[in-house]
Amino acid sequence: MLWLALVFPEWPLQARFRAQAHTQPLAVAAKQRVVALDAAALAQGVRHGQRMADALALAPELLTRPRDSAVEASALKDAAGCALHFTPHVALETDGLLLEIAGSIRLFGGLDGLLRVLRSALAAAGFHALSACAPTPRAARWLALGTPGRTIGSPGALPAALNALPLEVTEAGEARLATLREAGLRSVGDAMKLPRDALALRDAQALRRLIDQALGQTADPRPFFSLPPEIDSRLELPVPRHDVDVLLFAASRLFNSACTQLAAAYAGIAECQLELQHEHTAPTRLVLRTGTPTHDARLLASLTREHLARITLPEAVTALRLRAPDWIEQPGRSRDLFGTQAPSPQDRQEARDVLVERLRARLGHDAVYGLSARGDHRPERAQQRDEPGRAQPATGKPQRPLWLLPEPELLAERDGQPWRNGPLHCLGRAERIEAGWWDDAAGSDHPAEALRDYYIAVGPRQEKLWIYREHRAPYRWYLQGLFA
Amino acid sequence: MSASSLHTLLHRPDVWRANDTAVDTCPTVSTGHPALDAELPGGGWPIGDMSEVLTDCCGHGEVSLLLPMLAQASQADGWVAWVAPPWYPNVSALAAAGLCTPRMLVIQAVSAGERVWALRHALNSGACSAVTGWLDRVDTALLRRLQLAVREAALPLVLFRPASDAHMASPAALRLQVSVAAEGEVRVDILKRRGRPANRPVHLGTRPGIPVRRADILRRRPALALVG
Repeated sequence: MLWLALVFPEWPLQARFRAQAHTQPLAVAAKQRVVALDAAALAQGVRHGQRMADALALAPELLTRPRDSAVEASALKDAAGCALHFTPHVALETDGLLLEIAGSIRLFGGLDGLLRVLRSALAAAGFHALSACAPTPRAARWLALGTPGRTIGSPGALPAALNALPLEVTEAGEARLATLREAGLRSVGDAMKLPRDALALRDAQALRRLIDQALGQTADPRPFFSLPPEIDSRLELPVPRHDVDVLLFAASRLFNSACTQLAAAYAGIAECQLELQHEHTAPTRLVLRTGTPTHDARLLASLTREHLARITLPEAVTALRLRAPDWIEQPGRSRDLFGTQAPSPQDRQEARDVLVERLRARLGHDAVYGLSARGDHRPERAQQRDEPGRAQPATGKPQRPLWLLPEPELLAERDGQPWRNGPLHCLGRAERIEAGWWDDAAGSDHPAEALRDYYIAVGPRQEKLWIYREHRAPYRWYLQGLFA
Repeated sequence: MSASSLHTLLHRPDVWRANDTAVDTCPTVSTGHPALDAELPGGGWPIGDMSEVLTDCCGHGEVSLLLPMLAQASQADGWVAWVAPPWYPNVSALAAAGLCTPRMLVIQAVSAGERVWALRHALNSGACSAVTGWLDRVDTALLRRLQLAVREAALPLVLFRPASDAHMASPAALRLQVSVAAEGEVRVDILKRRGRPANRPVHLGTRPGIPVRRADILRRRPALALVG
């Protein structure tokens, strides 16, 4: 067994803002006392446990937020979801994770390799962690709190490693630790040296049990985290912002953590909702659709970019929330031995779906379409817009123009000839189209019934047009299409 | 030196003769018009390079110039993207020209920036086998981006631009100016191509969709009279 403990320093702050860049000092407070702060606040003299009034006196610009344990729990689940990518055995602590990694080390090319990949996955989701490894989960956590970066491989080396750690890492409760401090105990080693009875006298049997667990002498069972099959994560901006780049950066934090979780669950999403929350108005909701299930964070980010380019936000954004309720299982796909291969039909289909969604995100849903043939002889009704790639095939007809006007255009008539910047000369014989007598044309300028004689006509610049004359009074001429 | 050894020498790929068009350029796809192919380096539309058709024609067969290539591309497993066509493409005419119409993707975009953006995405997506688009009032920086995208995508890209843009510099590898010649003919001037510049225009009979000419009608009249 080898346990990797991750501790997220200043967790109330990390969970809320996920390491977004900001200029003002930040702090999170509970019961009017500072519980977490950033480097800028620390530099101005703010300290943990300080009263809010004192902290604001030291740093007037300090931005503060109340502590929210629900936000922290939800962010911890996101982090745990990312960690599931590396081992199925992940246990939650209040501000950290415990990962049993003995079985995964080889897969990632050693402990250093695993740590490197894990750190970058967490960093992409906006988390920064201190870590340490030990054969028991409690010892790993104590080491991560006391001397981050250490790795203890064998249980025999544990007592020596724990000896020098300050007593605070045991997290045995502030009141109990205060009693022990008064008794002259400073380090874990001091407590280990005391006989059990002596600890019991000082109401510190609990501490002895923790030490036994850390040394592996008492069982320390941990419930493992299992991934809920949905994503609902939220991220707050330190200051309300409008800028697309800032919003995209914040959103990519959410996408990265969501996509690492999806990858760990061998799942993808075809649709998700990004909610941009405002202070006063109702949230702006962006629905991101990918066509095919995906867990590609960059794709989601680029779709968001197109959406943001198209909309105007009613006011600055205070927080982002990503929801992806419907997961679609995505079994792994095998690649050939040498990595490269011709795109499979599935790859092609994915590429098409991605293209259509990306174009629609920026240009609007109706601006991207395929054309389907319909069983109607009236040219303006013989085809209709359809989903790209799902259009009905057309049968070729000779003597049809390449371009069709959206609506037939009324032509002037001079000396009995149709006129468009000059006289139009009809070529050949007329093609009669009579159709649509069954359609009701109520409320339309054009009668639905078509009684028309179509001609190919040559205009003054030698252009070839497709025109028709109504086969009933008032026998008007119309332009329907152009031969290009 | 015998004639045959001179012949082999002249056909070495590293020997270039000044009256040749560039031969070993990028791959091409035939235009479907033999007279035009003969004048184009590599014998067709360049693949992985931008081509421009500069024309003010409308209704003269300027798009028909492209149809054989688009028809061929639509037979491959990819879409044929039409970015900002001036009117609706008519599927029955396109099907008659051999296009597989369910593989058509029509994209409407208004500004030049959006059109170029859509063209670049269509090129880079890996979903298309040919891309064509209509542009006007486009600056060279946007065209350069497009040229980079098409080079990466290795697809044929043909842009339609107004004839007034002919004087503007363009990164396109091939620029054709299409204008009206006699009836049923277009005149194609090759403004720019790889290798030796072209000095004579190509005349192509397009006669779009018109199997009967006026002469045919005149000839048919007596026949009609006979039947009557």
